[in-house]
Amino acid sequence: MKKKYALFTGCMMSTEQYAYEISVRESLPILDVELVDIEGFSCCGEPMKSVNQLMTLYLSSRNIAIAEKNKLDIFAPCAMCHLALSECKHLLENNEELKDRINGMFAAEDLNYKGSIEILHTVDLLHDHIGLETIKKHVKKPLTGLKFATHYGCHLIRPSEIGRPENSENPTKMDEILKALGAETVNYYPEKLDCCGGILQINLPESALTKTGQKLKAIQEYGFSGLVDVCPWCHRMYDARQVKAGETVATKLEVPVFYLTQLLGLALGVKKEKLGLDLNLSPVDKLNLGEA
Amino acid sequence: MSIVDLTSMGEPQSQLRKEINDRLYKLKDEISDYCFQCAKCTSGCEAHKLLELEPHKMVALLKRGLIDEMVNSDIIWTCMSCFKCRERCPQKVAPVEILFALKNLAVASGKQIPGKYTAFLQSILSIGGIQDIQEITTRDNKTKRRSELGLPNISKPKDLTKFQAGLMKIAVEKV
Repeated sequence: MKKKYALFTGCMMSTEQYAYEISVRESLPILDVELVDIEGFSCCGEPMKSVNQLMTLYLSSRNIAIAEKNKLDIFAPCAMCHLALSECKHLLENNEELKDRINGMFAAEDLNYKGSIEILHTVDLLHDHIGLETIKKHVKKPLTGLKFATHYGCHLIRPSEIGRPENSENPTKMDEILKALGAETVNYYPEKLDCCGGILQINLPESALTKTGQKLKAIQEYGFSGLVDVCPWCHRMYDARQVKAGETVATKLEVPVFYLTQLLGLALGVKKEKLGLDLNLSPVDKLNLGEA
Repeated sequence: MSIVDLTSMGEPQSQLRKEINDRLYKLKDEISDYCFQCAKCTSGCEAHKLLELEPHKMVALLKRGLIDEMVNSDIIWTCMSCFKCRERCPQKVAPVEILFALKNLAVASGKQIPGKYTAFLQSILSIGGIQDIQEITTRDNKTKRRSELGLPNISKPKDLTKFQAGLMKIAVEKV
């Protein structure tokens, strides 16, 4: 049965991390997922948490209310958006008073938050809803001979108290998906749970880059074919800022960094140029990814 | 509609500040006693090695009521919000949430907001998102726009004036 979701693109993916959006839109329909674009969304609110937590809650509940009005569950490929929306559901679930107050603020836009819909991310959509068996059936060009390190991203796996798509200390779903696509991964490497530093890019960019550089340096030393991520904030650090990150750890970094959906697309037989691979700034050409 | 910076609104700010203050005192009175200073939070803290953030000490300072001191310190802005401290605390204290409340209070008290947070805030108020569409460069140095990549228009608030009106209420609403 075809699964239908409102695509919540968020700010980072839709304004600069286009490779993620392109590969999401290209590869998921092959697995019978229909992505619907609906009008009216704003920022998820997560980047505003340090400034004003009520604003975060307002923005996330507003976005959920819009999807509810359209009677659709939300697919949010960004780990940060996914956290904001999930946390909003968690906070308002048993707090009628807060829910009423938030709904009171929606008067101008004629919205009503109920909290009735599901919020999905790329990892649980692929692993839990579509399933590894279905993915395997659709693989046309297995990613044979490639061994990847996976980066889940802090916001995707914590805090588990509010319900996250993956285990907080030992996440493996992305590894399982990559194995279903024919690639190899290791379920554990010491830096697996290390943060990309992305949030600090807002106010302490030098330190943020050091975090990025430290993890990439380790991945390079272990000899992985590349790094795979599922968050536009993380990817921006590991891919677009890789050269600068290398400078902070005095290392020439040459780690190919991919979005999971780009590799998914390749394995499903989508042509290279349709997956935004020319937008990755890390040296993804190092790997033999087949004909263009 | 001109952008009214939420951080510079005079009258409502005092109310907002009071609410965040109440939230912090609630954390102090109800939560900080659970902390037995095991420092598990600090041992896993992503900002600890690099920037010397020590979440368990922040909880200890909160317990002693040294809120102003923390609000005035730059250290609260070194948190990477990785949520490891909240995940791993055996007593469910969640230092990261204390830090969010401290940063909120710093902003509501009129302290300078570091980095790009102000720009993000203004951008959300004017277009709904933290930044506008960027031109990007491909690996072989070609400039590309979103529209050239076959991507549809971005989802945006339909009526920005109404969207802004809703956001403005937050400055006066209770937290």
